[in-house]
Amino acid sequence: MKQAAFNLAWRLFKHETKRGELTIILLAIILAVGSVLSLSLFSERLQSALTAKSAEFIAADRVLDSRNPMNEQWLAKANEFGLQTAQQVYTRSMVFANDKLQLSELRAASSTYPLKGKIKVSDVAFAQGAFTEALPQEGEAWIESRLLQSLDVKLGDEIEIGAANFTISKVLVEVPDAGFNIFGGDPKVLIPLDDLANTQVTGPGSRVTYTAFFSGSSANLNDYYDWLRPQLDNEIHRWKSIEDDNSPIGNAVSRAEQYFLLASLLAIVLAAVSIAVAAQRYSQRHYDPVAIMKTLGASKNMVQQIYLLQIIFITVLGIIIGSVVGFVLQQLVVWALADSINVSMDAWHWRPLIIAIFTGSICALLFSLYPLLKLFSVSPLRVLRRDLGANLSSRIIQFIASGGAIFLLMWAYSENLTISAILFSSGVLLVLALLLVTYGLIWLGRAFGQGRMSAWRLAWARIHRRALDNSVQLISFAITIMLLLVVLVMRNDMVQQWQDQLPQGTPNYFLVNITQNQQSELAQHFEARKVNVEKFYPVVRGRFVAINGEKIRTAVSKEDEEQQSSGRDGLGREANLTWSDELQTGSRVTAGHWFNESPLSDTLDTEQYGVSVEERLAERLNIKLGDELTFNIGSEVVQVRVTSLRDVNWQSMRPNFFFVIEPKALAHFVPTYLASFYLPKEQKSELTQLMLPFASVTLIDVDARIDQLRNIVEQVSLAVEFILILVLIAGSLVLVAQVQASMDERQQELAILRTLGAKGRLIRGSVLCEFIIIGLTAGLMAAVFNELSLYLLQSQVFQMEAKLHWQYWFIAPVAGALVVSFLGALSCWRLLKLNTSHLLRQMV
Amino acid sequence: MTPIKMISTNSISKTVSTTQGQLEILKPISFDVSEGESIAIVGASGSGKSTLLSLLAGLDEVSSGEIFIDGQAMHTMNEEQRAQLRGAKVGFIFQSFMLVQSLTAIENIMLPAEIAGLNDARSKALKLLQLVGLDHRAKHYPNQLSGGEQQRVAIARAFITQPKILFADEPTGNLDASNSDKVEQLLFDLNRELNTTLILVTHDPKLAAKCQRQLQMHAGALSEITSSENAE
Ligand SMILES: Nc1ncnc2c1ncn2[C@@H]1O[C@H](COP(=O)(O)OP(=O)(O)OP(=O)(O)O)[C@@H](O)[C@H]1O
Ligand SMILES: [Mg+2]
Repeated sequence: MKQAAFNLAWRLFKHETKRGELTIILLAIILAVGSVLSLSLFSERLQSALTAKSAEFIAADRVLDSRNPMNEQWLAKANEFGLQTAQQVYTRSMVFANDKLQLSELRAASSTYPLKGKIKVSDVAFAQGAFTEALPQEGEAWIESRLLQSLDVKLGDEIEIGAANFTISKVLVEVPDAGFNIFGGDPKVLIPLDDLANTQVTGPGSRVTYTAFFSGSSANLNDYYDWLRPQLDNEIHRWKSIEDDNSPIGNAVSRAEQYFLLASLLAIVLAAVSIAVAAQRYSQRHYDPVAIMKTLGASKNMVQQIYLLQIIFITVLGIIIGSVVGFVLQQLVVWALADSINVSMDAWHWRPLIIAIFTGSICALLFSLYPLLKLFSVSPLRVLRRDLGANLSSRIIQFIASGGAIFLLMWAYSENLTISAILFSSGVLLVLALLLVTYGLIWLGRAFGQGRMSAWRLAWARIHRRALDNSVQLISFAITIMLLLVVLVMRNDMVQQWQDQLPQGTPNYFLVNITQNQQSELAQHFEARKVNVEKFYPVVRGRFVAINGEKIRTAVSKEDEEQQSSGRDGLGREANLTWSDELQTGSRVTAGHWFNESPLSDTLDTEQYGVSVEERLAERLNIKLGDELTFNIGSEVVQVRVTSLRDVNWQSMRPNFFFVIEPKALAHFVPTYLASFYLPKEQKSELTQLMLPFASVTLIDVDARIDQLRNIVEQVSLAVEFILILVLIAGSLVLVAQVQASMDERQQELAILRTLGAKGRLIRGSVLCEFIIIGLTAGLMAAVFNELSLYLLQSQVFQMEAKLHWQYWFIAPVAGALVVSFLGALSCWRLLKLNTSHLLRQMV
Repeated sequence: MTPIKMISTNSISKTVSTTQGQLEILKPISFDVSEGESIAIVGASGSGKSTLLSLLAGLDEVSSGEIFIDGQAMHTMNEEQRAQLRGAKVGFIFQSFMLVQSLTAIENIMLPAEIAGLNDARSKALKLLQLVGLDHRAKHYPNQLSGGEQQRVAIARAFITQPKILFADEPTGNLDASNSDKVEQLLFDLNRELNTTLILVTHDPKLAAKCQRQLQMHAGALSEITSSENAE
């Protein structure tokens, strides 16, 4: 009995494959496995490439920041785990030379620093610089151009840091882990770690960050972290990778990762949808053979064995072909990208293959479950009464089985409940809405589908008659279109946001310490040379002393140093205070009102002016709206009331301030000014000329940083683009397969119409109308539910501001109707080319 | 000797429920068929011939009454048991041939034998294929054969398990005169050779006349017309 079932299953499989009868379901599985494999393999490889590349921005794969000296045993242990390590110590310290002094950011690095990325140095100030593998030798210091300028020193001169003297041997242009909050930072000084002790600047009371760098394979890194984690103290230690780094790079990379994940999940759903459609078709095609076998005495058991075996054969074949196709496709894209993304993508990941195989088999088995159950229930009486179908009516099993399977797959793959739940629930809602629409169509079909025979009426009549059968089709079209919309629109929004972050002409130089006298002169001077200074920010140095009259203990920025790799100098004992009528670009009031909008400002007594405080600082120092803050500015005491809290993007490469005070409050202080301007690369040589009259003004060059940022964002965008294209290809194939499958169902009807002498034009017209109606409906519903899932995804997962995309409410239905009807027309034409007897012969 | 009763029915009826309520498509019918007998069921379209056939063959369940096939009480059986009975004792020929489209001619013939778990399915099938004159088309698929050829394959398939009863619903209904003759010839030859009991539904009076007995269906009721002169 077993043997007979196997023989029959194998025979059916062999013949049906050869005769092309399994093409649709086989294609669906190939597509499923192929797209899941190529997408997830590609995105994992791309992701590890991007992470590797962006790791340069923290100089390592992982970083451990500590407020206490680094435990040497931890470093030794890291080496045992096969990791490379390096160390660096940061502190702020005065640097003396020529009787001048300047606060600087002191970095003492071990000989292996940096593990990722390179240091750039030069021999002259404000030059482009070149990469170097070297580090300062014993007794040497590399210092930034600004420091050369402000201390009025040159290479070879001596500087004094704490108790030690150093010879300046290079101009430090760039370190990989400098961060992106360039403004306000003190100039950097790089010395060997071994010389640090001599300076005696790290004694008790000084604020020091000890950093350990680690790099190695992600498996080793994870193992090491598992070992290390129990020993870490949240108060003292912070472990981070580039994704945790709240920098533009970190954000871009982690967002891209989420996008890749999203795309892979969508591939899984697409795969499931195409298999579901194909499985239904497969089952319908086998009603007759099952009826015949049952008539001839086959037991239910045997029929089940035969068809389960056949599905297994198909699945195995589909998985094998799909894996090859997916791998080749992915490899082609990798080769195509090799020139644009200059990171090696040789790493092989097993997870995508396993996921692809799982997706293929689970989808194939679970999605054919209901159609197969239906198939098994076909009555043998069908051999006499041809119209008898299967008599299993409950769709609940189908929905629960397939829905549950998809959800579990998505969850298992993404390990992210939020994304899975969002995609899944919008999918479920879409299905429910479409079922409603289906009943609407049935009703409409009854209304429109009567009367004289025309293509329009024929189409409606057909929709009416087959509405329930075709609801699966409508649902699959709509889900496919919706998924494509989600990846498309998400990509557009994301890339748009990245571009907005750094538009062309973003200021690439900052000027600090412009005196009031110099301000207009500088403006004119720059204008004459056609360089546009964006804005002058008045700055007053003040000391923040009390909240509501209560003295604050120490400096504000203690934790702040560890909070932001790059924001560590944002606020010392002295805070930069600015005043402004308008909110800076990139900032957002999160509580209270901006000065001129504040309803309070008129009612308060005239002495009490407003201040706007950066949100996170306010949170840390427990500053509330309405609190009174006290600053010492020069010899005066200024008291201001908190009227608003602001969310500040410290990584925006723009001037940012913790405190912005209402202009009137500081009107009688003499400020210095801070300004930024954009200078195109080809004009870089004019810089010296430009700055010549303003020797006392400090110039900060962030051009290289912006370039790096642009470069990585471009690569990430490109990667996202390719993923989008892969999904679009997979989605289109699914659509083609769906239309093909539905055409197959229509074949019989077409043959009959043809036999009855219906004109080709009428048939074509009616098929076209039908597909247009289905495409329009699917597209419209897809657009609606696209908004829903995008809103949820953007607000819950991508941390973006969600907005509506009205244009797609129009584009989606039109494109849906066009594409679906075009594909439908294409396969309809093909059918009509065959002669009628051929058509009739093909059907049983 | 008294002939063994191959089929025995005791007031079987069939009622179906429709949107307009219960519909009795077969009124209580009782008749017996002896082993080796050939019976034609004739009647107008819609009179219930196929319905009767489906009950006798165990493809459908009776609403009331009793059916015994070769002494076994089929009306008490479930679908599984009926399938087993069909596999063991019954052969079928249909108007629309009912070949499995994705199996070749020879494989279609082998099908019942394989389902029944017989050993030398292929050699038996080949022999039958020769008998129906299609051995050169063994590897052809049904849609590569003409209607007559397909029906000959179906006949070969019906006989491979050497069934005790053969049911044929309009076996020549889709065929032209010369093909019909060929098919009829085969059917009766094999029937006689294997001493099969034949129940045949037909519109064709000529074909009906070749059977030993003719039963007339009329609006769900059965009446016997003749015992044919062939009867011994
Ligand atoms: N499940 C059912 N539901 C409703 N009516 C049925 C059902 N099965 C059979 N009938 C009706 O019972 C009657 C007998 O059908 P049957 O197929 O047995 O006729 P027939 O004599 O074989 O006709 P023909 O010569 O055209 O094949 C028909 O009127 C048919 O419509
Ligand atoms: Mg009939």
